Amino acid sequence: MERAGVGDRWRPPRGRHRLPPEVVARSQRERLLEAAVRVVAERGYGAMTIGDLTKEAGVSRTTFYELYEDKEACFLAAYDNAVETLVRRVIKAYESKADWPDRAAAGLAALLETLAAEPALARLSLVDVGRAGPAAQRRYRAAIQRLTPLFEDGRDFAPGGRGLPANTSRMAIGGVTGLISDELVAGRAEQLPGLLSDVLFATLVPYIGPDAAAREVERLTR
Amino acid sequence: MGCTIAFTVNLSGLIEKEHLPAGREDLAEPLVAHSQRERILVAMADSCSTKGYNATTIADICEPAGVSRATFYDLFKDKEDCFHAAMEVSLADAMGRILSVYSPDKPWATMVRDAAAEFLDLLASRPAFARMALVEAPASGDRAFELYASGKRVLQSLLDRGRDDPMEEEAIPSSAGRAALSGAESLIVGQILAGNAERLRELLPDVVYITTVPYLGQEEALRQSREAEKLLSSAGG
Repeated sequence: MERAGVGDRWRPPRGRHRLPPEVVARSQRERLLEAAVRVVAERGYGAMTIGDLTKEAGVSRTTFYELYEDKEACFLAAYDNAVETLVRRVIKAYESKADWPDRAAAGLAALLETLAAEPALARLSLVDVGRAGPAAQRRYRAAIQRLTPLFEDGRDFAPGGRGLPANTSRMAIGGVTGLISDELVAGRAEQLPGLLSDVLFATLVPYIGPDAAAREVERLTR
Repeated sequence: MGCTIAFTVNLSGLIEKEHLPAGREDLAEPLVAHSQRERILVAMADSCSTKGYNATTIADICEPAGVSRATFYDLFKDKEDCFHAAMEVSLADAMGRILSVYSPDKPWATMVRDAAAEFLDLLASRPAFARMALVEAPASGDRAFELYASGKRVLQSLLDRGRDDPMEEEAIPSSAGRAALSGAESLIVGQILAGNAERLRELLPDVVYITTVPYLGQEEALRQSREAEKLLSSAGG
């Protein structure tokens, strides 16, 4: 994700110009989404005002309301954007390997590295979304569910996989996101890559049991 | 063990402060609203579950509680103070229920199962409080978050006691219990957000599996999970 400051970004020239209105709107929209990520990271969702967003993005209040109904709508759009980036990276890393434990390790490593490199994105995706009300909560759960198939593959890999409880993958994901959130809440976003063996164990243990999980963690994080 | 004792002391402190008896059976939701203060706390939880904490106004609380704004401010400093009080009562309630299953001679897995069953039953019987405690409080970022976190630490210490074999100490990460708890929590919260809080008890076999598998291994955890399932069907589903 581009991390240039507001001043460095290309903007449509002021005054009369011939850019199609949808191009102008898209660039304003992007600036607002990036502003939302930064402001939420700095101040948290609760304290964020529309004034913060328009100032940070360099757009007028009128423009803001043309694009978004309210603060929540803007936040949700930023959230969807952030999650899209994150999920794409995780899936790409996951698919680069063959066996399920190796795939899980690669996907989780990509997740942790992305979050560590972009703490603002991390906060937005995993911590502040919970503070933005019920709509955001549902959004968060829908996003997380997109990772379910990656965990569900563990069933095919594990010898007794079919006999595992129905909600195994949902709980495995919950374990991983729980451990990550704890680090973020404690302000340790940069140290997230060090959490790999813990989240990998949490992912593997319901499918292959503690002994095999510990062996795989040892092999994959050596 | 030390942890349990320390926790009991905290809990009695909480209970004393809230003037609540230690047996929690009397706190079923419809019965709780017998004082202005309690009516306000119930209204707070209700509003949290419909509008969310951030969007809740003092009027949203006062009107259904049938109290004036003046009464509200006599009893609470502000909205956050009220939320915190509602969390305190819920936490005392939940911890009382969970402590009631504790017995030194019960096997660990049985205790985990009984505690999970109590907890799920409590949440199912009080959906608004369930939502407040597990959806709003973790997101509140203030003192209520601390209450939520302390409740979670107590449950975690119960799970961590499954680690009694020093041989396992090295191979199993110390975060295993915390991860299992978060996994169970996430399943429970999903059910609450889907509006199925009254069916939370059905999650017992899943919760038993995820919380015991790091320490008991798959075979035994599956056995415990099937036991929990039998318990459910014998209790009439």
